Amino acid sequence: MFEAIDTSGTGLTAYRAWIDVLANNIANVNTVKPMSGNAFQAQFAQAQEIAAGPDGIGRGVRVTALPLSSREGIPTYDPTNPVADAEGYVRRPDIDMNQQMGDLILAQRAFQANANAVERSTAMYESAIAIGKGI
Amino acid sequence: MLSWFADGPAQPSGRHPVFNDVTSVTLEAAISGLAERQRVTANNIANLETPGFQARAVKFEQNLADAVNAHQPAQARIDNLPTGDLPGQNGNNVNLEREMVNATETGLQQKLLTNTITSRFGWMSTVLKG
Repeated sequence: MFEAIDTSGTGLTAYRAWIDVLANNIANVNTVKPMSGNAFQAQFAQAQEIAAGPDGIGRGVRVTALPLSSREGIPTYDPTNPVADAEGYVRRPDIDMNQQMGDLILAQRAFQANANAVERSTAMYESAIAIGKGI
Repeated sequence: MLSWFADGPAQPSGRHPVFNDVTSVTLEAAISGLAERQRVTANNIANLETPGFQARAVKFEQNLADAVNAHQPAQARIDNLPTGDLPGQNGNNVNLEREMVNATETGLQQKLLTNTITSRFGWMSTVLKG
């Protein structure tokens, strides 16, 4: 019952996860790490359709994996940085801010669309529940 | 409505002719089709950004019209088919604008049909009360 709302719920969950990942990447755009270790690695949300049930109707979307960007990051010359190595290098994260911001708009728009779909499905189920009301 | 009972096709056995006349069964079949369309629309919107996802669309109106003409509205098939639209860069072909229009239309049609069913029950209720 109320499958359409469940389906949109998976969309809300998936796009919320994507927004969380993007927010974390953007928050760490200036996180600098020493050359001895890994750079901060940006996450990517990988999503997949949830396979259709026996009735052949798809059941939404889910985040299947959060792959990471390169661990080398971008070695940058920054001798005044406290974590710089003997040659003055640090690892800056390999995060493309343009892509992050663009993805954030896509994720936000998709989240809103799913929230809207929940409202519409709710109205539909309500009208079905109201059959025979007032007789 | 009275002439319907006189001339209509035989009702399937075991079903009440007053509540399972062609009109009621057709309304129910149409509501089932709309409910399925709403679920498929919700799935398309949930997969708005899923790479490689192929949007689907529900078609049942023509099947239902044919089934009504054949006096078998309960046999109407609900088709759930890929839209076949051209995919974008990531292989996804969901058209959000159309999905939103679909969702709006489906909601209004559903309201129309459920109100119609309620009206029919109202008439029956009037008859029963005398």
